[in-house]
Amino acid sequence: MPETVAREIDQYQQQIELKKQGKVEDKLFQEARLRRGVYGQRYDNGQRHDGVAQRELAFTRKELRKGPETLWDAPGMQRIKLTFGGLTPEQMEAHADIAEEYSDAVCHITTRQDIQLHYVHIDDTPDLMRRLAAVGITTREACGNAVRNVTACPKSGCCGTEAFDVTPYALACARFLLGHRDTQDFGRKFKVAFSGCRDQGCAYTGFHDLGYIAAVRPGADGKLQRGFSVYVGGGLGPVPYQASLLSEFTPEAEMLPIAQAVSRVYARHGEKKNRGRARIKFLVANWGIEKFRAEVEAERQKMPHEEAWISWLDQVPAWHEQALKPTGALSQNTEGNAGFQAWRETNAQPQKQAGYVIATIKLPLGDITSWQLRQLADISRRINSGHARTTVEQNILLRWVAEADLPELYRELQRIGLAEAGANTIQDVVSCPGTDTCKLGIASSRGLAATLSERLKEKAHTMDPDVRDLRINVSGCFNSCSQHQIADIGFYGVSRKIDNALVPHFRVVLGAHRENNAREFGQTFGPVPSKRIPEFIDRLTGFYLAERKPDERFPDFIQRLGKKGIKPLLDEFGQVPPRAVDRTLYSDWRDPREFSLSDIGTGECAGAVVSTTEFDLQAAEQLHFEAQVHLDEGDYRKADDTAYAAMVLAAKGLVYHENQDVPDRPDAIVAEFRLRFHDTGRFNAKNSPTRFAEYLFRRHEDHARSYSVEAARRVLEETQLFVEAAYACYVRVTNQLPDGPADGQSQSAAPENV
Amino acid sequence: MDLHRIGVKWLARESTPLDLLDLIPVFHRWIQDSVLGDLLIDVAEYTHMHHGPGVLIIAHEGNYGYDETGGERGLLYYSKQPLPESDLASRLAHVARKGLKACVLFEREPGIGKHVSFPGDRLEVFANDRLLAPNTDEGWAEFLPAVKSLGARLFPNEDHRIERLNTDPRDRLTAVIRAATAPGAETLLARLS
Repeated sequence: MPETVAREIDQYQQQIELKKQGKVEDKLFQEARLRRGVYGQRYDNGQRHDGVAQRELAFTRKELRKGPETLWDAPGMQRIKLTFGGLTPEQMEAHADIAEEYSDAVCHITTRQDIQLHYVHIDDTPDLMRRLAAVGITTREACGNAVRNVTACPKSGCCGTEAFDVTPYALACARFLLGHRDTQDFGRKFKVAFSGCRDQGCAYTGFHDLGYIAAVRPGADGKLQRGFSVYVGGGLGPVPYQASLLSEFTPEAEMLPIAQAVSRVYARHGEKKNRGRARIKFLVANWGIEKFRAEVEAERQKMPHEEAWISWLDQVPAWHEQALKPTGALSQNTEGNAGFQAWRETNAQPQKQAGYVIATIKLPLGDITSWQLRQLADISRRINSGHARTTVEQNILLRWVAEADLPELYRELQRIGLAEAGANTIQDVVSCPGTDTCKLGIASSRGLAATLSERLKEKAHTMDPDVRDLRINVSGCFNSCSQHQIADIGFYGVSRKIDNALVPHFRVVLGAHRENNAREFGQTFGPVPSKRIPEFIDRLTGFYLAERKPDERFPDFIQRLGKKGIKPLLDEFGQVPPRAVDRTLYSDWRDPREFSLSDIGTGECAGAVVSTTEFDLQAAEQLHFEAQVHLDEGDYRKADDTAYAAMVLAAKGLVYHENQDVPDRPDAIVAEFRLRFHDTGRFNAKNSPTRFAEYLFRRHEDHARSYSVEAARRVLEETQLFVEAAYACYVRVTNQLPDGPADGQSQSAAPENV
Repeated sequence: MDLHRIGVKWLARESTPLDLLDLIPVFHRWIQDSVLGDLLIDVAEYTHMHHGPGVLIIAHEGNYGYDETGGERGLLYYSKQPLPESDLASRLAHVARKGLKACVLFEREPGIGKHVSFPGDRLEVFANDRLLAPNTDEGWAEFLPAVKSLGARLFPNEDHRIERLNTDPRDRLTAVIRAATAPGAETLLARLS
């Protein structure tokens, strides 16, 4: 494990200890853990409706919290980032182990190619992270107001329609943006996707905050030059936005600078107070793409050069995946094996490299057990050299499978219960966690998805191919975590009050065009009671087959009929009988409790807006604590230096609040701090001593320091006062207290559009 | 071996196959009635999975599940929080007891109990902590005395044998206890109480 990663996890563990000692405020700790992928889960406020009444979950440590209204001991979710969905056999095994030991032996693949574990205790998360880090996986910035997992088409490198393999580019982008100074001050999350081509619907750049579509064009030397069409400001959520074209062609060398410039513009001008308007899509829509583009270009011109922009480029040509075995046609007679043939038809797709196929492992509801994952690691090592990727459809792809090995692969997948046919068809239902574990869930998306999947599987062999190939996505609420707006038939959970009781419903979203990276979102129609949705799907698909024009695809059919044409179908299923007649509609799928909304909690998807300065100040406090430990252990020299580093870090937090381009060197930071905060009088409140800033200056200028226990003890005390003063100064300059800056020269960092 | 993450699975016998979905309302009722002593939080359902965890009650102290791992159904309890006992043998007994209590409740459950029983002639005891208890010969040597102690308490006058489930270092350190007789869950619970 790299030393920096080990240290980051150690620091996170120290934060946990400090939180337990009451030394970190709830809001700050919440955002800190979210940025480690440690997420809240349903009932973590200690309240649950058990079907009879709302009950308190009687955790003994009620006073200990891991965020506002979030109890420490309540189980939570751990999100784990898999850049471009890449998953090696060693990583599969690590996931299998941690799922067994810290969760419930199930890994859940998400619609962002992540893996999530549920029911995890926060005390277990540092060890969990270390075990993942040992196989090259980070959970850093998996949640919170940060750059989330960078996704990519899972067929990259093997797909016949791609301009080139975007994998190394997605990897470079993820590495560059992770923890980058310019991505730490967002008002909300930020999602990036890479697509190898323009026409297909695999990576869905159309609804991403930042999307790259691979493109090539002749360069000045006549050779083909790689680059990207860059899109910005797309998003799903309650109100979906199509991304706008920021640049028709950005050369590969400009890929990272553009990402950085977009990040800086978003961090500076994006909404911070109104969480519902804080995604970049609102900024782009508010300004218009022309103004946004002009800002990005201006920002790009003034950004100081970073070596990391291009240092990775020479590694791109070396990126390739090696097939384990030579190609070969199917060597065994498989004609009589109907199960194999059905699986092959839906789950195996030829690669652009002749003789090789991509095999899709269809995971029910995106779930895979620890045992299956361990077995799959062995199978993948043996058959395709371990080249696996997760997909946004919540499946796993095995790439580079020699066609001749397909029967063996099928047999092996059968052995571990993962050889189900029907991948990417109507029975392969995508679902978010919904009310099973999500604090925001309204209705049981997984319950509905499981029921639909089972029913549709039984009918698959008699289905019309045009119905069979439809896609269903189910979200537990309007927040679109299942990406229901890009389904042929999408649903999101709502409720209706009927007969003085609540009834779970799902609103219907129909007719998206997934091609062209999700070029058109589905239209929202009325709600259908949850328990009647299976019948509704039968009716809808039957209606489509009966009423469609020759060769009319489902999205076009929906568009032609419009809301008026579909309404009679919804009306057929909209009726809910009184409870006395049929109680079943008043509870949700696979949950016998009377339906209730009282379990909905406060979402943590966004977390609180915590600025980089607040994180720096907290880190400075932590360094001060470490310095104290060094002193207690007798290492006064290390204590002295660590205390000094804490003061510099606190000063840096303040300086970067106003100017992010100051070089990250003590000399530069102290000089800038002196200029902006000391000389202007802003560091000191009207009634506080002026000497606190001098503590920093004196220690910084003491080049021939004479180390001693006494000197270390003194600088530790001074550091504590300095960090406290920095906190107070930050509160004043952000106008969080009425006592404003002494000289009125504060440069507010508030966004222009607030 | 300061092990606290421990699991015990009591293998079940079904006279007619149990539909796991039928367990969901049962487990919700167990939560309503607080019948297990632990802080019961929620029901998790994995009936869609092949040889998966089945249906679970998520509790603070540990999880209870009607588990299908390995293709064999059984009542599984595994601890997640530090156990109060100071020695490993007592901790194993603690975990085994919790599982047995759930087995007894299960057998008494109307509609289900008549089809499902826990003979008690086979159980799996595992260390759910690879960092502390790896599946190595050394790990087994440390684990075995506590497992023997548990076996002796469960089957004081009956022949029984203890085997290591497998030696794959990736798997959890697991002991299988097989007894010549099937005393049943209630009897075994009484012996551990």
